[in-house]
Amino acid sequence: MNADSAVAQPSIDVMLLLEGTYPYVSGGVSSWVHQIINGFPELRFHLCFLGSRREDYGEARYKLPANVVGLTEHYLFSEEVLPKARGRQGDRATAELVRKLHTQLREPGDDADAGRAARARVLEQSLQAMEGRLDLQYFLHSRQSWSYLTEQYLERCTDPSFVDYFWTVRTMHTPIWTLAALARSLPPARIYHTISTGYAGYLGAVLARITGRPLVLSEHGIYTKERRIDLFSAQWISDNMPVLERNAGEAGYFRALWIRLFESLGRMCYDAADPVIALYEANRLRQLADGAEPATTCLVANGINVPPFAATRSQRPAQPPAVMCLIGRVVPIKDVKTFIRAVRVASGRMPGLEGWIAGPEDEHPDYARECHELADSLELGDRLKFLGFQKLVELLPKVGVVVLSSISEALPLVLLEGYAAGVPAVTTDVGSCKQLIDGLGPEDEALGSAGAVVGIADAQGLGEACTALLSDPAAYARAQAAAIARVERYYTQPIMFAKYRAVYEDALARSDQASATAAPARGAVATALREGRIPQAAKAAGADDVGHTAATAGRLAPADTRATSPGMGNHPQVTGSG
Amino acid sequence: MAGIGFELRKLLRSQSYLGLLRAYSYASIISSGPWVFSILGLIVTGLLSLGVVVPNLLITQFQVTVTYLIMSSLVLSGGLQLGFTRWVADALYAKRRDEVAPAFLGVLLLSTAVAGALGWMAALFLFPRESNLYRVLLAGGLPLLCDIWIVTVFLSGLKQYRAILALYAGGYGLSVLQSYLLRGWGLEGLLAGFLGGQFLMWTAMMWLVLRNFPPTRPITLDCFKRGAMFPSLLAGGTLYNLGVWADKLVFWYTPQTSSVVIGPLRASTIYDLPVFLAYLCVIPGMGVFLVKFETDFVEWYDKFYTAVRAGGALQDIARFHDHMQDTVREGIYQIIKVQAITLLALYTFVGPLFHAIGISDLYIPLFLVQAVAASFQVLLLAVLNVFFYLDRRREVVFITALLTALNLGFSRVSIALGAEWFGYGFAVALLITLITGLMLVQRLFRRLEYQTFMLQGS
Repeated sequence: MNADSAVAQPSIDVMLLLEGTYPYVSGGVSSWVHQIINGFPELRFHLCFLGSRREDYGEARYKLPANVVGLTEHYLFSEEVLPKARGRQGDRATAELVRKLHTQLREPGDDADAGRAARARVLEQSLQAMEGRLDLQYFLHSRQSWSYLTEQYLERCTDPSFVDYFWTVRTMHTPIWTLAALARSLPPARIYHTISTGYAGYLGAVLARITGRPLVLSEHGIYTKERRIDLFSAQWISDNMPVLERNAGEAGYFRALWIRLFESLGRMCYDAADPVIALYEANRLRQLADGAEPATTCLVANGINVPPFAATRSQRPAQPPAVMCLIGRVVPIKDVKTFIRAVRVASGRMPGLEGWIAGPEDEHPDYARECHELADSLELGDRLKFLGFQKLVELLPKVGVVVLSSISEALPLVLLEGYAAGVPAVTTDVGSCKQLIDGLGPEDEALGSAGAVVGIADAQGLGEACTALLSDPAAYARAQAAAIARVERYYTQPIMFAKYRAVYEDALARSDQASATAAPARGAVATALREGRIPQAAKAAGADDVGHTAATAGRLAPADTRATSPGMGNHPQVTGSG
Repeated sequence: MAGIGFELRKLLRSQSYLGLLRAYSYASIISSGPWVFSILGLIVTGLLSLGVVVPNLLITQFQVTVTYLIMSSLVLSGGLQLGFTRWVADALYAKRRDEVAPAFLGVLLLSTAVAGALGWMAALFLFPRESNLYRVLLAGGLPLLCDIWIVTVFLSGLKQYRAILALYAGGYGLSVLQSYLLRGWGLEGLLAGFLGGQFLMWTAMMWLVLRNFPPTRPITLDCFKRGAMFPSLLAGGTLYNLGVWADKLVFWYTPQTSSVVIGPLRASTIYDLPVFLAYLCVIPGMGVFLVKFETDFVEWYDKFYTAVRAGGALQDIARFHDHMQDTVREGIYQIIKVQAITLLALYTFVGPLFHAIGISDLYIPLFLVQAVAASFQVLLLAVLNVFFYLDRRREVVFITALLTALNLGFSRVSIALGAEWFGYGFAVALLITLITGLMLVQRLFRRLEYQTFMLQGS
């Protein structure tokens, strides 16, 4: 760390940009943020929380670690931040600029750099203009702004409701100004780290632009994709097309408008961020599709605390238990019904096999009831057990194969925890599951398959894959070995911390040299991580081949102690991951 | 005031000239009834007392006292009339119906207290030479009339036009009858009779209000809290009444055009009679005003705001805007047309008419100018009505303040210019205010959508 030499450096090392998450909302991402802050006690963090409105959040859900030196809250949709309405004309030149900026945003840009330079110019010009005549007052209250708005409505809007158009445009654009203003009022930091794209990502892009400091992006879900799902199911966005004119599967105009905004904000963030970190490969590919520069992208998977699970391996019987177990909440997204049907298939082929469902049923009582009814109608009897909430370290030794029948997952920690306990898995092909079962890249794949991947809602395939694994001791042993090797090599907490250490050290170094020497090429640290090296850690540990090449968990001792920080305490239980 | 529109539309739907005539006559009576009754009531009482109440000065004293009571009560309560009516409308819109009666009683309590105190002080200090009975009647009459205006506006806000008309007919009938019966007691008798009739009218009005809004909660002064009523409406209401009476006040208190009547009250023999008679000429204009603005305008106004609020297309919003604008223009043209015809008819027949009712020819020029001025006033009322509907309170304050200032100034100028210019001050002041108002309406319509959307809460 360069903290000693940082005499003229900002007193904040890392500014975390948190949209709708830590410390006011609990969940997987928040736990991860808490874990990261605790994992780097020598760094001073400042939190910048972006929320919708103050009243939407309660008290902080986490006790802030001692190395959090400040917390700034900003509410995107609160009325307080808005200027008082005052009519004014607005000048023609600004109106022209707005038109030009929009045209540029709409155009794909030239192919050489996928429009990155053009987008950077738009951001630069916008920021400059927003400081001058194109202020929020202009956008909200000027006549020029009004005539541009009505013109765009007449030209583009396919939804008849003008009032909805008006408010949609107003609501989605206002944060562009308020966040730019926020960026100028935040205390200086050496690096900025945003945990999503969206508004936080835009804030990060603005901060990177005005301060010239590095921006790191860690995306757990894919913001744009999640917003797309939100928006498709959102009730609050009105869709005023007459029923007969509506096209099935086609987003209403306002939804499309929101999606385009988030895509635009996302691209700005991808352009500004280096590295762009995804949790797993499928998400990295999505980021590329959404406009991220390939060289800047890399993977840092979540790591689990292996030892408590590894300790349970000795409790396993010699023969794998004939138990296929779904670990997760009983909710539609986990597609528990397909699991139940698969149990029916498997138990028909393999007498004595049991299906277990370990997870709370209170989140979606109707769905849980339907699952019980389905089990009854299939006459599964004792062959299917609803166990409710279970402690994983006690449960896993009794399980033959961990099953995920989900229709959507990110990076499910239960799979990794099962691996650590020596339990292979059968999953649907969602999120990172294929990567976790079959491996990513030649070295990882050489470890072998840790189970099987089947299609979504394929009960027959799922059941058969489980029986195939459980009835063939040799195959089971191979899968078990692959599972243990894979989790220990790629998905431990020490590896995750080592990678983030490299990311932070690289960014801090770039921040300190910002004006001095020539900046290193974009994507240096990301490229190293993609290629399986952890660059800065080499200096300390004398090994530049940790991570995806050779390291075992034990060799990253410095980070190890912190890696088992209290923030991880909930993981040996049934987690709600995904 | 959308309620009257329904009845008018029923009449208009008959598609015949007779039906049209009925609709406009009905509207005229509805809209001008109350003040026609009050002017006629005063004149009739005076005529009935001729020869009985001697000297004739006593009759003049009675008429002037009542005129002053009406004037000062209108100015005093003008702000509350507008401010409170709006408060009630908002409360009803927000479904807070049970808050109306306690607040209504609170407003009456406060207006009675303030006007009563002012009346009492005026009677005590300004009329030391009059009888105690006169002074008591004066002190009681001021708050009574204030309350009557407030209740009247409240009832018209509830679309109880027919009830108001009937109550005013009955009330002024009673006032005339009682004054007639009590005329033997001179000035005090006339005044007591008049105010007695008014009191009974007020009682009946209160009964009507409280039947509609039975008070279920204790009386409250909540609507005087900061932010409850719009200060701009309080100012606009006061200024409008002040503006309309300013020329009369100037004439009353300029020595060369006036004389003392009773105590500090002065009257202008040349000015007053033609002025009040002239107001009777705007009955047709008021009818058109009511028909155009309460049916056609309100219809498009509703469509416009429904489209704005409920997600209409911008093209539809623009279309309703155009229609709304058209009805305003059409309404103004129609008022001009019908008033022009009326004025032409008056111009032609004013000589024989004045002979018939026994008024001197000398009054004719001033009467005609005042008739034109009163026609302008109807137009101004139409313009103000547009601003009220579109909730442009700032414009209302500006227009009414302009009227007050111009009327004061030009009336003084007209006096300085000599007798042949009397009345022109009021007319020119109204004309300039009217044109300014029309220009503001035009400006408002040009930027209505912009203002509605972009400047919310300003």
